[in-house]
Order: sequence, then C-alpha cells, then structure tokens
Amino acid sequence: MSRRRLIMLGGAAGALATLSARQAAAVLKLDVTQGNVQPVPIAIPDFVAVGLPDPAGGRNVSQIIASNLRRSGLFAPIDQAAYIEKIVTIDTLPRFGDWRQINAQALVTGRITQSDGRLKAEFRLWDVFAGQQLRGEQYNTTADNWRRISHIISDAIYERITGDKGYFDTRIVFVDESGPKERRIKRLALMDQDGANVRYLTRGDDLVLTPRFSSSADTITYMSYREGDPKVYLLNIETGQREIVSNFPGMTFSPRFSPDGQRVIFSLQRGGSSNLFVMDLRSKATMRLTDTQVIDTAPSYSPDGTRISFESDRGGKQQIYVMAATGGEAQRISFGEGAYSTPVWSPRGDYIAFTKQTESKFAIGIMRTDGSGERILTEGYHNEGPTWAPNGRVIMFFRDPGGNAGPMLYTVDVTGRNEQILKTPSYASDPAWSPLLQ
Amino acid sequence: MRTAYTISAIGHAAVLLWSVWSLAAKPLPVSNEGLPVDLVTASEFSKITAGTKSAPKAETAKPLVEKVAEAKPVEDPTAKVVEKKEVKAAREPPPAPESKPAEPESEKKQAEAPPDPIADALAKDEAKKPEPKKADAKPPTPPKKPAPPAPKFDPKQVAALLDKRDSARLAAAGETLNNAPSLGLSNGAAAQLSLSELEALRARLAQLWTVPAGAKDPQELVVLIRIKLKPDGTLAAPPMVLTSGKSPLFMAARDSAIRALFRGQPYDMLKPEHYEQWKDVEITFDPRDMIRG
Repeated sequence: MSRRRLIMLGGAAGALATLSARQAAAVLKLDVTQGNVQPVPIAIPDFVAVGLPDPAGGRNVSQIIASNLRRSGLFAPIDQAAYIEKIVTIDTLPRFGDWRQINAQALVTGRITQSDGRLKAEFRLWDVFAGQQLRGEQYNTTADNWRRISHIISDAIYERITGDKGYFDTRIVFVDESGPKERRIKRLALMDQDGANVRYLTRGDDLVLTPRFSSSADTITYMSYREGDPKVYLLNIETGQREIVSNFPGMTFSPRFSPDGQRVIFSLQRGGSSNLFVMDLRSKATMRLTDTQVIDTAPSYSPDGTRISFESDRGGKQQIYVMAATGGEAQRISFGEGAYSTPVWSPRGDYIAFTKQTESKFAIGIMRTDGSGERILTEGYHNEGPTWAPNGRVIMFFRDPGGNAGPMLYTVDVTGRNEQILKTPSYASDPAWSPLLQ
Repeated sequence: MRTAYTISAIGHAAVLLWSVWSLAAKPLPVSNEGLPVDLVTASEFSKITAGTKSAPKAETAKPLVEKVAEAKPVEDPTAKVVEKKEVKAAREPPPAPESKPAEPESEKKQAEAPPDPIADALAKDEAKKPEPKKADAKPPTPPKKPAPPAPKFDPKQVAALLDKRDSARLAAAGETLNNAPSLGLSNGAAAQLSLSELEALRARLAQLWTVPAGAKDPQELVVLIRIKLKPDGTLAAPPMVLTSGKSPLFMAARDSAIRALFRGQPYDMLKPEHYEQWKDVEITFDPRDMIRG
C-alpha cells in the first residue's frame, strides 16, 4: 500500500468523521454572502439640557448629530415626530419596545449640562434590538465648543456602528470664489466639515490655489501669486502667521505635506520642465526627487511616508506614477484611456484617487496603489481635485458645471454612492480635508 | 384457438391504433405561461433576490412596462359622466341618422345610471370613430350586427373593446418604466414560489443585514453566529457569536449581523413540520464577495 493511498484513506476517514459529527450535532449551516447597504435607521431624540442658556441647546446638538450621520449615507435618522418614548433622563434604560416599533435599530440618548461656562456632554448609544448599550461617553469642554462636541459624538456613533473611524470633527480648507466670472476673487477659506463656521484666511488680493492641510490640522500649505510668480506658502490658521516655503527662481506649485508634517513636497518649474522637490521645514534643506525634461507634478505621499504618487507626461500623456519617497525609478500605474492627473493617496493607504480626462469629460475615480481595480466614482463636464476624508471612505472634489456658473464642492463615497453637494457661501474649488482635529 | 388469436390481434391493434391516434392527433399542449428556468448558484440567487440596492421598496411586484404611457386623467367616476356628455355633443354635427334618435334616451339613462367604467370606456372608444359600428340605439339600424339598446354591460362589446385596445398597443405601457419582470425581484411572485425554505431564510437575512460597505479589511467582517429557534420561528435565546475579534470593524459587523437576526423574527418561512432540522442554525455572514464586487 503506497503512502499516497494511505493518506487518501486517512483523509476519507477524516471526512467521514466530520460528516458524522455534523450529523450528530444536527446544526443547519447557512452562508449569507449578500447583505444590503441601506442606511441604518437611528433615533436621535433631543439631548436633555441642564442649565443651558439656550433652551434649544439640546435640540441643536441632536440635530447636528442627525445631519452628520444622514450626510454620511450610512444612517437614516428617524423623524422625531414618530418617536413614542420621550427621553427625559439618560440614567435609565430606554423602553426598547417603543423604539423597535418605529423600526429604529440604534438609539442615541444624551444630556448636555452647562455650569460656570463649562459644558459637559454625555451620550449613550443603544442597540434597540439587542437591548444593549453599545457605547457611552462623556466629554467636558468650554461652552462655545458645543458644535465640536456634537461632531465628536457623531464620530463615536459612526465608529461604533460602522467599525470605521468617523470624519465629522474635521475641517475643510478651500478656495472661495466670488464676483463675476471674468473678475473672480479667490480667497482661502476654512469651514467645518458640514459647512458651518466659514472663515476667510486671505483677503483675495492675490490668486491662491491648491491649499493642503498638514497632519496637525493647524497649518496649511498653498500656492499664491503674491510675489508675482507663483510660490508655495505655509500658513498657520490659528495664528495667521505666513511663511514662504521656497524662494527659488522659477515657479513652485502643487505643494503637499509629508504625513509627519515635517516636509513639504512640491513642483518646481524651470524652462519647459517641472520636477519634484522636497523641503525639510526645519532645516530648509531641499532635495530634488526627479530630474526630467517633462512635467512631473501633483505629488502625494503614501500614509506611511515611504512612497510618492505623482502625475507625469514622460510617457507622452499625463499618467500616474509611483516612486520611493527618496526618488529613484518611478513606476507607471495608470493605463486606461485618457489622461490621469492629481493622484491623492488615501489616508488608509488602499487607494489612490485621481482626476481622469477623456475627450470632453472629467471624472473622479480611485484605483489601488498598483493601478488595479480602477473605478470611476463620478463623471461629468468638469470634476477635479479629489481630497480624502481622514477615514478614507469619502472623497470631496469640486465640480464646475460650465457656463456662467462656478464650481461647487461635492462629496462621494468610495463605493460611488451617496454623492452630495456641500453648501458654501459662494462658489468654491480646490477643497482639502483636514485630519481629525486633536 | 384461432378465434382467440384473432380477437387478441384485433384487440391489440385497436388499442395500438387508439393510442397512436390519440397521441398523434393532439399536439403537445403549449403552455401559455412559460416557466423561466435559470440555473443559478445559491449565492447568485441571494444576490438576485436582494434586488437593487438603490431601488425604492416596492410593496407589490410591478407590471412590466416598456414605455411610458400618455398621461391619463385620474379615475373619477363623477367626472367621467360629464366628460362623456361633451364627447357625445362633439359627435352630433356629422350626420349619423341611425344613432340620433336614440341619443336623448341613452344620454339620459347614462346620466341617471350609476357610473359604469366599462360602459364609459366603451362609449369613449366609440366616440373616436366617425362611423359608429354598433350604435347604442335601435336594433334595426346597424348594418353588421344588432346591438342591445341600452349601454349596459355586454360581454360581446367588452370583447370587441379589448381586441381593439390590444392591437393598438405597441408596448406594455404604464406610468413609469419598469424593465424588470417580476421574477427576480425580492417581492416578485415567481421568485417566492420557487424559494425553498432555506433560500427564503437566506434572502430574509440578506435583506436585513446591513453590510459595512467600503470597509478596508473585509476579512474582519466575517462573522459566524449560531441561533436556536423556537417552533414559532422566534429566537429561543440571544444569538451566540462563534468568531471573536476586538477591532471596531469586527464589532460593527457582529452587531449588524445580530441586529439582522433579531429583526428577522419570526422566521415563518421555516415550516413547523421541519422544525427538527432548523431549530439550530449556524450562519456565516460573509460580505467579502459583495465588497469586492
């Protein structure tokens, strides 16, 4: 008897044994490989307010949370008019039956207490069907921070239900565009991720483009024509302190921070070619990364800081390349029809977002970092400038409908679902999403 | 002996002849309602019955609609009576001697009679034609066939009406386009008819289970859960999770699977007579295929 036969016999016996064991247990096995991607119905009654000067304070908090979760496309906040139980305290168990009856799967109860200018916010997230608390937390802050607290609670709920980090306690820096089309005034502006608290960072005297956040979310880098030639600047958004990054002859543009915030990578154009450079912000030492006679631009670091994606027309047409963060040989990763530009590495490292131009259309898409799995998320007359939410699940971009109208900001899920416009005071372009605030 | 043989032979021949005759004379009956049969795997089936993700929930299966119909006025019996009067008036100028005398009577009758949708539709149809084939008036006047005087329900007229409408219609028309035949919809009757109990259970869970789409590490989303059921199809105890994990992604996936199991109660698609087989179920929730696709 050969060894192989023995093994086969053994295998057969093993299989028999498993079979009989299963039969003895008589457990019905079922694989469910398909589910829905419908938003989770969630009830968010007004927070119980204690000592708040504004009687609507509790409602404001719950409304911000509801609006955040609704915009994510993963939650469907239930209309408060349907609620049966009125939440008057968060210290007792809710009547789950009442919430099941209105088909809520999750319930958020909360209390916000103000005393001596300090704010205490507590919330509990309940699984209505299992009748369990999923999360309960408490935050202390200053009274004027109630909006941020609402975002932080939204993030906690989002994380517990979806398993991914939230992105609500974040900001967007963008280029605000006002005035008639031929004399557009472009100002750097900052706002919360939901469009609230808009603040202008520049006055609109000079053209500004491509603002980008540092990993600490308090500094941005951008390009401006302030000195005549376009140059790369740094701006501390808390102090207003401004600094020129690169004072070389030639045009510097398309800046972006390294993930650790210590370096800025940018393009420098001299003559007809543009190459990639990186500058250490402390030592001001500058290193050349590419040396070509073509246009290399739009560099973006991988989240671990070891690689860089950028666009280049070295192959004849704009395509996306990836190379080591120290320079060296670059590998082309985009091979589809059309021209690829503005690659941006996802903060979670799995995808690179890009703008793709085919004949008369501009699309926003994503591909894996090796160029596979390309997927177009949105397409139209003009879409450009993708930027990632810090959890890598949502992309913001701007869309210009053409004609006399101007660009507006939009968000779309990496799955291509849930495209939404983000309201801004006037036209807006070049958005950049901050990391989660500290 | 010979007689016996003859009788036997004749008998056999008769039976043979009868069978040949009866079999040959009748063509194989053609079923009007084709039963579509597709070979699909179990997972494909779940996918089909899951329906479109973005589609609104439809309570009942929608009819097949290939083109959008022209806007029709809302069905309103009282309004229709008035509408019909106008149509009759418009028909008056062209000389139609045979129908004329009958008009006042029929009109009066209709005005008095309770609204009858069939009669209304019939009258409308007639109004379209300049030469009324069958006037609702006197029996002797129509050249082809006599019609009853009153615009009451008449099976023959209905048949004529239906025939006309059928020939005029090019495509199944309706208010909204719907290319999907009801087979394949989660609520389509055909799909439900062919569902086995297990597939129905799978379909229900697939409908209720919210997958964290767009998750980066889908392998963390695989959850194995064991449930014990009561004969009435409700959970005998909270679901037991057999896989373990600590990541937020796993916790989210686990909870969403448990929620689906709670919400799916009672599992009434499982027949009580098979209770022994389904009282203990081990379910693997695995969204990886879905996320990859």
